[in-house]
Amino acid sequence: MIAPLLDIVTTAAILFIVSSGLLLVFGVMKLINFAHGGLITLGGYAAVIATILGLNPWVAVPIAAMFGAIVGLAMERVIVRPLYSRPLDAILATWGLSIIIGQIITLVFDRGVHFAEPPVRGVVSVLGEPYSSYRLILTAIALALGLSLALALRGTNLGLSTRAVIMNEDLARGLGINSGLVRCITFTLGSALAAIAGAFITPLSSVDPNMGIPWLINAFMLVLVSGSSILSLAVASVVLGGAQVLVSNYFGSVLGGLTIAALAAIILRIRPQGFAHD
Amino acid sequence: MVEAVLNIQQLCSGYGQATVIRDLNLAINRGEIVAVVGKNGMGKSTLLKSIMGYLPAFSGNIMLMGRTVANTAPHRIARLGVAYVPQEKAVFQDLSVEENIRLALRKPLTLADAKAVIARCFPFLLDRMRQRAGTLSGGEQKMLLVARALAVGAEMLLVDEITEGLQPSVIESLVKVIKSEREHSGTSVLLVEQNIAFTCAVSDRYILLDKGEIAGVGETSDPDTPMRVTAHLTL
Amino acid sequence: MTDSFARSIESSTSKPRAASALLRVGVGASVILSLLAIAPLVLDTYSVNVLARSMIYAAVALTVDILWGYMGVLTFGQSAFFAAGAYASALVFTYMGFSPQLAILGVVIGVGVAILLSAVVAFLAFWHGASALYASVITLVLPIVVTQVLFSGGTYTGSSSGLTGFQTIDLSVEQWFWAVAVLLVLLTVAAWVYTRSDAGKLLVAIRENEHRCRYLGLNTSHMKAVAFVICAVICAVAGSAYANYTVVVAPELAGFMFGTELVIWVALGGRGTLIGPVLGTVMIDYASAQLQGDFPFIWKLVIGMIFVSVIVAMPRGLLPLVFDAGKWLRRRHATQQQSKDREVRLLGLQHSRPITRTQSDVTALTVAGVQKRFGSLEVLSGIDFEAAYGEIVSLVGPNGAGKTTLISCIADGAQRTTGQITVNGHHIDRLPPEQCVRLGVGRKFQMANVFETLTVGECLQVARARWDKPSRWHRTGLCSLPPSALRVVNATGLQEDLGVPARLLSHGKKQALELAMVLALEPKVLLLDEPTAGLTKPERSLIGSILTELVRTENLCILLVEHDLDFVREISSRIIVLHQGKIVLNGSVDEVVSSDLVKSVYAGSSHEGARHG
Repeated sequence: MIAPLLDIVTTAAILFIVSSGLLLVFGVMKLINFAHGGLITLGGYAAVIATILGLNPWVAVPIAAMFGAIVGLAMERVIVRPLYSRPLDAILATWGLSIIIGQIITLVFDRGVHFAEPPVRGVVSVLGEPYSSYRLILTAIALALGLSLALALRGTNLGLSTRAVIMNEDLARGLGINSGLVRCITFTLGSALAAIAGAFITPLSSVDPNMGIPWLINAFMLVLVSGSSILSLAVASVVLGGAQVLVSNYFGSVLGGLTIAALAAIILRIRPQGFAHD
Repeated sequence: MVEAVLNIQQLCSGYGQATVIRDLNLAINRGEIVAVVGKNGMGKSTLLKSIMGYLPAFSGNIMLMGRTVANTAPHRIARLGVAYVPQEKAVFQDLSVEENIRLALRKPLTLADAKAVIARCFPFLLDRMRQRAGTLSGGEQKMLLVARALAVGAEMLLVDEITEGLQPSVIESLVKVIKSEREHSGTSVLLVEQNIAFTCAVSDRYILLDKGEIAGVGETSDPDTPMRVTAHLTL
Repeated sequence: MTDSFARSIESSTSKPRAASALLRVGVGASVILSLLAIAPLVLDTYSVNVLARSMIYAAVALTVDILWGYMGVLTFGQSAFFAAGAYASALVFTYMGFSPQLAILGVVIGVGVAILLSAVVAFLAFWHGASALYASVITLVLPIVVTQVLFSGGTYTGSSSGLTGFQTIDLSVEQWFWAVAVLLVLLTVAAWVYTRSDAGKLLVAIRENEHRCRYLGLNTSHMKAVAFVICAVICAVAGSAYANYTVVVAPELAGFMFGTELVIWVALGGRGTLIGPVLGTVMIDYASAQLQGDFPFIWKLVIGMIFVSVIVAMPRGLLPLVFDAGKWLRRRHATQQQSKDREVRLLGLQHSRPITRTQSDVTALTVAGVQKRFGSLEVLSGIDFEAAYGEIVSLVGPNGAGKTTLISCIADGAQRTTGQITVNGHHIDRLPPEQCVRLGVGRKFQMANVFETLTVGECLQVARARWDKPSRWHRTGLCSLPPSALRVVNATGLQEDLGVPARLLSHGKKQALELAMVLALEPKVLLLDEPTAGLTKPERSLIGSILTELVRTENLCILLVEHDLDFVREISSRIIVLHQGKIVLNGSVDEVVSSDLVKSVYAGSSHEGARHG
């Protein structure tokens, strides 16, 4: 009884970590960053690099953040900026970038599967049930990430400006907020978060040049049903992640793999604003 | 020689291909309060949006604080010391009163400076700083807008139909605040209005806009002004 | 008077031109077919083998181009329909053996599954108010679902390795090449004929401005769904051909990656050009096959880089670039010809449907107790009024009084919160805009709302699509307009611009074009939202005289929202003053002009000001 419950909680946590960067970008810029999957892959390879260099596995996280931020910054400057008024084209261009990232990774490494050293091994006992300690740590990380994002948006001046741009960009500009800069910072931060997520999830699975794609689609669907609120993303992660775990347990992992996408599509058909409150 | 805070020469602007403002000339000096009156759809709001950089200037020139600013981004105009109070929904409903004010603050101004100004003009807001701005009444929201514009130490205020839907008592206090702030800090104001009583009470002079062109100018101290302007405004 | 409008306006030679265009395509297709006939004899077997497959893909890419390039629906899901066809055939052959009848059965099953799937997707993706992004999302979910279903088929569908080794139609590689080539050329020509036809212009109209289409009485959701299902059928047939030809099917065929690859080919070739996506697909897939062996990753990297640059810098794709270069070389000789090719000849209808005269005992428009709320905000409350045929009723009031909201409530049954509205004696209930148009409502929007890339003539044809069923087979180059619309076109000089794309028109002419389009609907109740906004003085008075004449000769009922009060005073038979969502006055022009109430609405407490002055 305890194990499925833990599965639901940890799956939701992982989905939240993977989607938060995309949510940030979608909230501020109203466009979908399809390179999110490529950036997750990039983060995964940051973990591989850390393993190859024999570094402490936790060092993979700042390396991934750096990779993601650099790529994200360049991407926003050169490619995303001209496409603000063409959201469907922005999806395509960022998808193209995802291909480019994947191919460069393939050239540097190869097509094969790599493994990264997990920072923590083994299991702990939760109410008598042995459970992967790394998944539990990820849950704590997801909580910390969610809280710090919420606090940053609430407490800092940049966060305040960001929220203003989300609510009403024209009005924010009239108050002297450089919305272009806010967009750029958000995109960079969102990309860094994607790469960090890649580094975090790597020890749970293997790394290959296409590892980001299934995550991209789940993250994409979660963000669409969440609007631009961190709280709704958390709710969506729990509900849809929970459904995925249950379907996988009772109907097999194949159907589990399509649960999030199918459910999200139906939710959006019935309630276009999804889990967002208005 | 009085310096012109705002100087517009031969401005043409509008939406897309539609020219709304045609060959407009207007200069406002430091400390001056000028009202733009005219019927709906005659380009009053368009004029403010063009100055603020939301709409492109097709031709002509706009100078603010002596700098050419035609086709400059709105946030740069704001940072020159221009505060814009748009007509609709201009407070961030989901942010608190304090956050609404903090948003507009630029260095070196601090929240304490802003609060000092607010204490002078709308002290009631100081007790409501933590409240969500959307829960303020319509009149209070308008006062918050003016308070925000004054609190950031703007040299020039652009105010779009602030009196719409307001009670006479609120309008009176707005007149008082705007005039005393002008005495205190030399703020210039360009306001778009339909309310003639307010216009006459608050401004030094007016310009009448008709189909994007200036159809008349005058001093509000002239006793005939209300009659003349009213005749223009109604059917 | 009527006679002069009944004769055709412009003598044009569009018929022979249309024929010559068809002839040119016929000749072009024959040349390409003969080249394709020789190709297998010259090329090595490997190339022939690959090209036959590439051409099957090209047929699928063609459907992406029709849906995305023409109709504006970005689809990632065509791979799913392709796989439906491929798997249906493969399963039939694997489990039932091979015979020509079974081969047909395979196609039929594949098509059936594709129709079913596409109907479900269309139901989910195309409904009133669904965004373009949402439709794309649904087409993205489809391949994921289908792939997982194929995986879960276990040994029956061959799971991840798919099915292979079944017996299929016995043709040599060359024969396959020829068969596929003929089918592809036929399909491309058919798509060309359709997209060029009057009905094909409706696809572009949907892409350009779906909103306007619905207010022209077109059920766009239904039209999109039909196009989507037809495209799915084409994909399924192509999939079936693929299974027969390659004798291998795998879950990747249904996948998201293949779905996006199709979009990449179309984008590179040039969306909305048909031939571009076909060439793009064949060339890229062929080149991939040739280069994949030597430079597998570099090649994909290069494609990715070109793709990104094309999307950012040349959204029209590479083929239009080639065309432009060709045109430039021929010193713009071709541009003139092309615009002539798109000319439309106007015909005047002898009589407009005389609805209004026979039914003049019915009130044109009744609005009773209409209320509109946005959340807790009440924008309109207790609106009651009537308007008769032959009246111009003006709605005036300060900004935010609810004038445009009221117009929206009359033109779209879903808008109002409570209350009753009848148009020409019919309740509008909760009818969507296209059904309200059927009751006789015509709405002109505040900002000129036309189809930017279509020519003036084509815009008018789209507006007439509700009455005159557009031809699916050719461009008729004809458009019959009722006298009222024709009068607007003539009076504003639009008849000179029939071949000019609407985006090049001046603001005034755009407004006039939209008015003509709305009049082409032969409405009984005409809703005009600031028809003179942004117009010069002469243009205003022209529109004013046209409107008064319309009411006199056609007995229309016009409801007009207007800020220009001089204009209102000149042409109105009655004025309704709206203030803070309520009607404060409903009376004759004189009554309203002399009303103190109206003065105070417009000028705040001006009298108080006057006394203190």
